[in-house]
Amino acid sequence: MNSRIRRLAVGLLVAYLILFVQLNVLQVSKSTELNADVRNSRQTTRAFNRNRGPILSADGVAVAETLPSTDERFKFQRNYPTGGLFANITGYWSYAFGATQVEKVHDKVLSGSTTDQNVNALPNLFDRNLDTSGAVALTVRADLQLVARDLLAGREGSVVMIDPRTGAVVAMYSEPTFDPNQVAVHTTADAEKALTFLNAAPGKPLLANAYQERYMPGSTFKVVTTTAALETGGLTLDRVFEPENAYVPPQTTDPIENYGGSTCGGDFATVFAKSCNTPFARLAVELGAEQMVLAAERFGLNEAPPIDLPRPAASNFGKVEEFKDNIPLLAIRGFGQNEDAVTPLQMAMIAGSVANGGNMMSPYVVAETRDHDGRALSRAEPKVWRTPMTAQTAATLTQLMVKVVNEGTASCCLQLANGVQAAAKTGTAQLNSKGEPERSHAWIMAFAPAEAPRLAISVVLKGTTDEISAGTGGRLAGPIAQQMLDKAIEVGL
Amino acid sequence: MSRVSALAASRRNTELGLVVFAGVITACGYTLSSLGRDANIPLNLGPFLGAVLGLLIAAHIATRRLAKGADSVLLPLAALLNGIGFTVLARLDAKRLAGLQATWTLVGVAAYIAVLIFVRRSNDLRNYQWTFLIAGVALLLLPFVPGIGRTFGTGARIWVRIGPIGFQPGEIAKVCLALFFAGYLTEHRELIAAGTWRVGPFNLPEPRHLFPLVAAWGVSVLVMVGQRDLGSSLLFFALFLVLLWVATERASFLAIGTLLFAGGAYVAWNAFSHVQDRVDIWLDPWSRYAAPSDGKGYQIVQAMFAFGNGGIAGTGLGLGTPNKIPEAKNDFIFAAIGEELGLFGATAVLLAFILMIGAGLRCALRADRPFEKLLATGLTTIIGVQAFIIIAGVIRVLPLTGVTLPFVSYGGSSLVANYVLLGLLMRISDSGARRLGEVPDELDPSEKRALKKFAKASKKAGKDATVIA
Repeated sequence: MNSRIRRLAVGLLVAYLILFVQLNVLQVSKSTELNADVRNSRQTTRAFNRNRGPILSADGVAVAETLPSTDERFKFQRNYPTGGLFANITGYWSYAFGATQVEKVHDKVLSGSTTDQNVNALPNLFDRNLDTSGAVALTVRADLQLVARDLLAGREGSVVMIDPRTGAVVAMYSEPTFDPNQVAVHTTADAEKALTFLNAAPGKPLLANAYQERYMPGSTFKVVTTTAALETGGLTLDRVFEPENAYVPPQTTDPIENYGGSTCGGDFATVFAKSCNTPFARLAVELGAEQMVLAAERFGLNEAPPIDLPRPAASNFGKVEEFKDNIPLLAIRGFGQNEDAVTPLQMAMIAGSVANGGNMMSPYVVAETRDHDGRALSRAEPKVWRTPMTAQTAATLTQLMVKVVNEGTASCCLQLANGVQAAAKTGTAQLNSKGEPERSHAWIMAFAPAEAPRLAISVVLKGTTDEISAGTGGRLAGPIAQQMLDKAIEVGL
Repeated sequence: MSRVSALAASRRNTELGLVVFAGVITACGYTLSSLGRDANIPLNLGPFLGAVLGLLIAAHIATRRLAKGADSVLLPLAALLNGIGFTVLARLDAKRLAGLQATWTLVGVAAYIAVLIFVRRSNDLRNYQWTFLIAGVALLLLPFVPGIGRTFGTGARIWVRIGPIGFQPGEIAKVCLALFFAGYLTEHRELIAAGTWRVGPFNLPEPRHLFPLVAAWGVSVLVMVGQRDLGSSLLFFALFLVLLWVATERASFLAIGTLLFAGGAYVAWNAFSHVQDRVDIWLDPWSRYAAPSDGKGYQIVQAMFAFGNGGIAGTGLGLGTPNKIPEAKNDFIFAAIGEELGLFGATAVLLAFILMIGAGLRCALRADRPFEKLLATGLTTIIGVQAFIIIAGVIRVLPLTGVTLPFVSYGGSSLVANYVLLGLLMRISDSGARRLGEVPDELDPSEKRALKKFAKASKKAGKDATVIA
């Protein structure tokens, strides 16, 4: 019998080995997958019973914080004291519907579960209030967000202001926005109701319009065309464009007109300041598709910018193939119409690249992540993303954009306080075809002070009201840029 | 104790050390789980630690006195598993379960000591094999008795309630039937193995030799299928096959048995919707996780989430959410261990069972009487296979068939039955040590009494004889 008993022992050992293998499958190889399963409420339940650190604005305002919960289910409730002011940056952190934006990207830091935080917490294993939650410090300032909100005054549009030297986003606000507190409620039904309402609301409030929505850039795009012409097309500022009210590009009989059908011309500095359309259409055709696409892509178009937030939209110019047999299309896109589409963030980055001597920095909204004791876990490191132009071209463009402020389309409204000189380019994109009611995107991109820029801004207003359609970008968007720049300089940026 | 051999002393001292170690692990686990849950050192830690260590030491002292040559790791392993189970139960439901399980542990240890006291010579149990058969079958049938039988939530009718005390008689029946099988096979194994009945080209065992065995097994299996207790049926089948194979040394029985099992499983799968359910859920629990399905996969999916959440090192005692798993205290206690103690803790439990199987089968190898060999093999098979069946069910290696995890799960009947089983194994182990001359083979109290009586009688008889002479 002994040999059989030994075989039985081996048989049972093999059976237990199978158990051990399957245990490894569940606890090691499939662990992450199981934890990430949407039906698995364990992680969320644990997360809602743990403290979660704050998200702080650059001027020290807690824009997301954790309060003791008033309901029985969980210990804590996430709260957004500034309501919709930072909604598109912080996102929300909800029980049933996950997290978005910074709440999502830096979830581990906020909940205290990065490797660093776990290692630091080891000595406190037996501490009653084992709280490893970290904090996220933004580059965005609450005071500037407030000014942006007041200036937009409920009109659909976006304001993005960056430090062109680093890429730090100091203001990024868009209307419409939403109150993340409505989604952060613990009751699934209430949160669902809020989300359903927001999803159906006009203007897509859940979408961070400032970096996830694209608008037709209009004349602001002329900065790109000008850069290409200066760098590779041999354009000089004294080149004279004969006054004309229309230009008929090759391959078509359909003329391209200036704004409102006016006659427009002069040396290049003048046509840039007055924002004539036909010279830029001509320049685009002269440069050809390859040079234009190359220039646009050197500005980061056709690609999503590397911002530290989820799902940024890629701005669009188009690919060479689109223009090969369609020169009129190239001409039209050369001054920012048709299917050119740029996010407000990208526009601020374009302004920033001119301001920063030709270097476009990677944009970021998180300055620093910190552990529970305030020690830095990570710090933003400014990086050059693109170099769309030489320093010399940047200087020339600055000169052109200063003229826009002093004599051109922005002369109405970009005179900064204390004589600070701004540089700008306006834009008005016509969305309607001939005969339709006018719809437009009113733009301005600007930077200041012109001689040593510390701030770059883009403002876009969208709408169908008479007020918007009647104005070129300068008159509508200009005052917003002006007051934003004044305020930023006033607070010491 | 006039003469204690050095070997016996060393075995018992090893056991004492390991038992204390198991007690300390339990106390640490209990403290940690309280800290994890509400960050308090439990107020009752002192009395609790005293009670746990007291119980274990009582079991150890009984072993020292009553089975001094027995294996030194079986009791500590049982204590460790029992302790881990208690820790997890206390963490799941500190108010009710912990107290009940502690009480049942007390009863279990008492039963263990009682077995050691009353069963002095394991081979004597052979004489009661038919009693054990009748007792086993009667116990299995008990839940069908109107008035005291109770149906379990899942439809299994395996409970008996008399007054305030609920009991699963099937747990004890398993031990009784193992005793019967071992006894019967000891007597008849050669006849069964010889195969004196010629049918065509085959030599089959005489039906009259095989009949009582198959009948006993058939009745038990039918009863359990009737009670919808699939896990016990499976365990029983395995026990029967293993013993038949080990006793007769004929692999053909194993093959025929496996075929029979496959056939039986297929018939059961066709005949019973609850068997189909179990298989379907095993293959794909996800589609039956929640509404609009019937939600029958919820439990197993929650168990998988628990294992995933535990990962390698576990969430820590008191820091996981094992209460999300339905029946975490019973069938699914292994998932709770996997969540809070991680792969490390779950593997430790697997290893404890492997070591227990090893120690149990070592008893079987060292025993020199066929009955003791078969009994030790049978008892070890019960522990090893039962633990395998439930763990395999919980981690989806096999379809889930509910049985308790020996020594770990909540449940008085299971705990007491397992301590009785442990007592029997220890007795066989001690007996083996005596046979091998490792421990002096002293007379047990009844033998001493008999000897005295005989001596007296023979003295008297001698006197009388002299008188007669």
